[in-house]
Amino acid sequence: MEIMEVQDLCKTYGKGEAKVEALKYVSFTLQKGEFAAVVGESGSGKSTLLNCIGALDEPDGGKILVDGQDLLAMGEEERTIFRRRNIGFIFQSFHLIPELNVEQNIIFPLLLDYKKPDLRQVDGILEVLGLQERRGHLPGQLSGGQQQRVAIGRALITRPKLILADEPTGNLDRKNSREVIELLTKASRQYQQTILMITHNPNLITSVDRVMQVADGVLSDLGGNANEKLS
Amino acid sequence: MKNYLELIPVSAKIHRRQTRMTRWCIVISVFLISVIFGMADMFLQSQKNLAIMIDGAWHVAFRELDAEQMAFLSARPEVKTVTRYAAANYKLNMDYEVGGVQTVLCGFDETFFEIYPAAGLLEGSFPKGTEEALVSEGMRNRLGLGIGDEVEMTTPGGSLSFRISGFVEDTSMMLKTDAFGLFVNTDTYLSCFREATLREDFVCYVEFLPHCRIQKAIRDICGQLHIPEDKVSENARLMGTLMQSSDHYILMLYLIAFLLAVLVAVSGMMMILGSMNSNVAQRTEFFGMMRCLGATGKQVRRYVRMEAAFWCLKAIPPGLFASVLTVWGLCRMLKVITPTWFGEMPGFGVSMPGVFFGAVIGFLTVFFASRTPTRKAAEVSPLTAVSGNADTVFAAKRAANTGRMHVETALGLHHAAGSRKNLILLTSSFAFSIILFLGFGIGVDFMKHAIKTLRPYTPDVAMISHDNACSIPDSLYAELKGMEQKGNVGIRRVYGRSFAYDLPVHMQGESKTAMLVSYEAYQFGWAESSLTQGDMESAENGEGILLVEKQGFVSEPGSEIELETDRGIQRVRVSGVLRDAPFDGGEDVGTIICSEDLFRELTGETGYTILDIQLRDRSDETVEKLRSMAGDAYSFSDSRASNRETRAVYFSFALFVYGFLAVVALIAVFHIINSVGMSVSARMRQYGAMRAIGISIRQLQSMIAAETFAYLAGGMAEGLLVGLPLHYYLYRQAVTQRWGDAWSLPVAECLIIAAVMTAAAAAAMLGPVHRIRRMSVVETIGM
Repeated sequence: MEIMEVQDLCKTYGKGEAKVEALKYVSFTLQKGEFAAVVGESGSGKSTLLNCIGALDEPDGGKILVDGQDLLAMGEEERTIFRRRNIGFIFQSFHLIPELNVEQNIIFPLLLDYKKPDLRQVDGILEVLGLQERRGHLPGQLSGGQQQRVAIGRALITRPKLILADEPTGNLDRKNSREVIELLTKASRQYQQTILMITHNPNLITSVDRVMQVADGVLSDLGGNANEKLS
Repeated sequence: MKNYLELIPVSAKIHRRQTRMTRWCIVISVFLISVIFGMADMFLQSQKNLAIMIDGAWHVAFRELDAEQMAFLSARPEVKTVTRYAAANYKLNMDYEVGGVQTVLCGFDETFFEIYPAAGLLEGSFPKGTEEALVSEGMRNRLGLGIGDEVEMTTPGGSLSFRISGFVEDTSMMLKTDAFGLFVNTDTYLSCFREATLREDFVCYVEFLPHCRIQKAIRDICGQLHIPEDKVSENARLMGTLMQSSDHYILMLYLIAFLLAVLVAVSGMMMILGSMNSNVAQRTEFFGMMRCLGATGKQVRRYVRMEAAFWCLKAIPPGLFASVLTVWGLCRMLKVITPTWFGEMPGFGVSMPGVFFGAVIGFLTVFFASRTPTRKAAEVSPLTAVSGNADTVFAAKRAANTGRMHVETALGLHHAAGSRKNLILLTSSFAFSIILFLGFGIGVDFMKHAIKTLRPYTPDVAMISHDNACSIPDSLYAELKGMEQKGNVGIRRVYGRSFAYDLPVHMQGESKTAMLVSYEAYQFGWAESSLTQGDMESAENGEGILLVEKQGFVSEPGSEIELETDRGIQRVRVSGVLRDAPFDGGEDVGTIICSEDLFRELTGETGYTILDIQLRDRSDETVEKLRSMAGDAYSFSDSRASNRETRAVYFSFALFVYGFLAVVALIAVFHIINSVGMSVSARMRQYGAMRAIGISIRQLQSMIAAETFAYLAGGMAEGLLVGLPLHYYLYRQAVTQRWGDAWSLPVAECLIIAAVMTAAAAAAMLGPVHRIRRMSVVETIGM
């Protein structure tokens, strides 16, 4: 089942001589439960791609359909609510709310929707993340790896159609990086969660289903487990 | 770049928005401090001018000095001018008359004109000879006199003749009482009028040199010349404005002014402190990066301090310049509106105290305020910068309570209350607005008590019956009324009153004495605000009377009073009760007011005792026309000069009192807008992350509103908690102690400042919300 379709996505920054074509007619689709990675050099356009898909940035042209709905045709408020319910974000710098504890941070998207969280679901996620003992802790009291696990919990709580992860291990050591990737893989397998992850770490793509590469704004699909192709 | 400190202007350029906010904050703080001290300075200057114009430039007056003492006084180095002065018949009860008009007699030295600039010599010269005299302008006009003419004065001891050497302006007292003035030199006065003058009316006025310690000089003089305390009086108004008064009450007012000045200074310091704290906190990453690249804590401290100096250079001069322009504007306003009284005010003068305090407080505050951020900046660990966890500088100590309210409201309140230090700093800065407003609000209470204002019924001129009888004919009133209706001779309003004095009245079984007064439509209209019981209409229609409340004269509307007039005993019904009236019959004498028709019915009198006239055109020509209509049959009272004095005093005072309040309200507005703006700016990155997660703009708006509300509510509570006792204390010192009025809750002031603060808080959210609306999430969170 196709969960996302990107068609001819274009994005240009600057004007005249300073003009940079960050994305050049990028098109691809993602299936439900697919764990895909986008790799590329720094400045290649992979973050721009993620930002456009997450409706954080406006592309100059093209179409983004998530679960059949055209993201770019929505108004600001509608798009925000759609993002809150259907797209989970995991950032390199975690971006947790410092005034909320672990549990509150995880249920934050539900609270924004004025929904009462299902405690069993929250407990389940905390257990998967290994944060039961830390549920009342504030982000400032957690290690980097724990903070990123909270961010993953936050991305999972609404059971979104799509999770976008921007260099999720960029600020973590090797052990924590491995744990985060294991969690994402588990989420993909256990909850049939579609995940699109950006990384420039070749070691992380061994666990993913599909690898795409962005170079000079052009996306090329490197196919299924691309270990051998990349090497 | 030769030195890392050269990064400062580069950084200012890159962080243009933050730098601009901090710079604006310093500019406005310096402006407010400087303008408030500048206004205080100009206020003192204007009041000094006014005091000199009304009471004269003398500092101290000694009574009953002998020639030896006078000589000693004149020889003292700190004395600038000494002048002798004596007066008689100023109560117009001693039968000294010129042309049948009561005449005030004065004798003084030529230096008197230096001490009393308002006593202007219109024409001629000082009367040096024993038979020479200056006469008042009114005498010249009414008797058609010229210089060199002889004027004959009738005195209880015979008549005296003087040759006119010149003319002086009428004083407000002469105009009001329709009297003449005759002025001779002191020696002539002593030879002609010594016997007619009371001992205490021989006065020696002394003006000291500028910058002299007057109180010490007075003590020395009194000690050396053995002058008892009761023979010394100070020019209280002038001494007060020179900050040289010894009066306990004035000293208390100085203390209040000092207290308010300290509050203003602290308020300015808090504004700058908050702004700089926020500015440095937002650049934690930058300072961490500097540490990472090898800068020592000392170097970072130096950097922040130099940055503060850079801001001082950029922000203090514009703040001072803006304050100078504002003070110029106020002075121009004074000069243009009342040139007679404030013509001497500097049009483009610079208030040195204003500039000094603005610059010094601004400079010191920026340096003082940079100390805490400097320490914070130097303490930033290099790890903070590289880990991307710079936001944790704002890390909370406890979690927000999201269980009982919407998450955005809970977060907003938590942003405000999460850090006790931040909460105290911000609510205190909000509270300061209330404290300052209530503190300066005392100025209005003081003004209402200390400064006489013109009432709606105050006339410009009046025609008064000589014998207090109803002898002004109805026909004259009708003629003037006709002129009013046609708009002739610049008359705005004419309103007459008839008086019947010492009427025996019987009320509530007791016999008393009362004064019956007639009112017409205007006066009934003005009395409306004093009506405490009953209705005005039936009194105006002649169906009843109005009783002015007084001890022994308390009655309910509907009750009856018996009046004994020439027409016998008559019963009248009380239609209403008035709190007060513009006149009082004296102790134990009540005041009863009725319509003109009822007055005629009760007394049989058809004329008036007083005809009051308010003028549209207050020129001398208009007044002369009216005076000629009155002829000699009635006294003609000209209150224009005294009204002008009253207006000038009130206007100059009100301009500054309300000016201070306006500046304080501006401080409140700026404080609030700045605090909210800074708080939002500091969390912009967090808001960006929340937007990415899915918070809507409307929800962010609610979050900011909740945070602002928390500061506002906390600030108001804190402000009232401190401001009300302060108001109580200041009111007791400035008002109760002097006039005895009890303190009451300043509801109006509280409501006004609460409304200003709420409006400012609402306005303060507009900017940040607009910024959030335009915010690029990607750029804000640095993805």
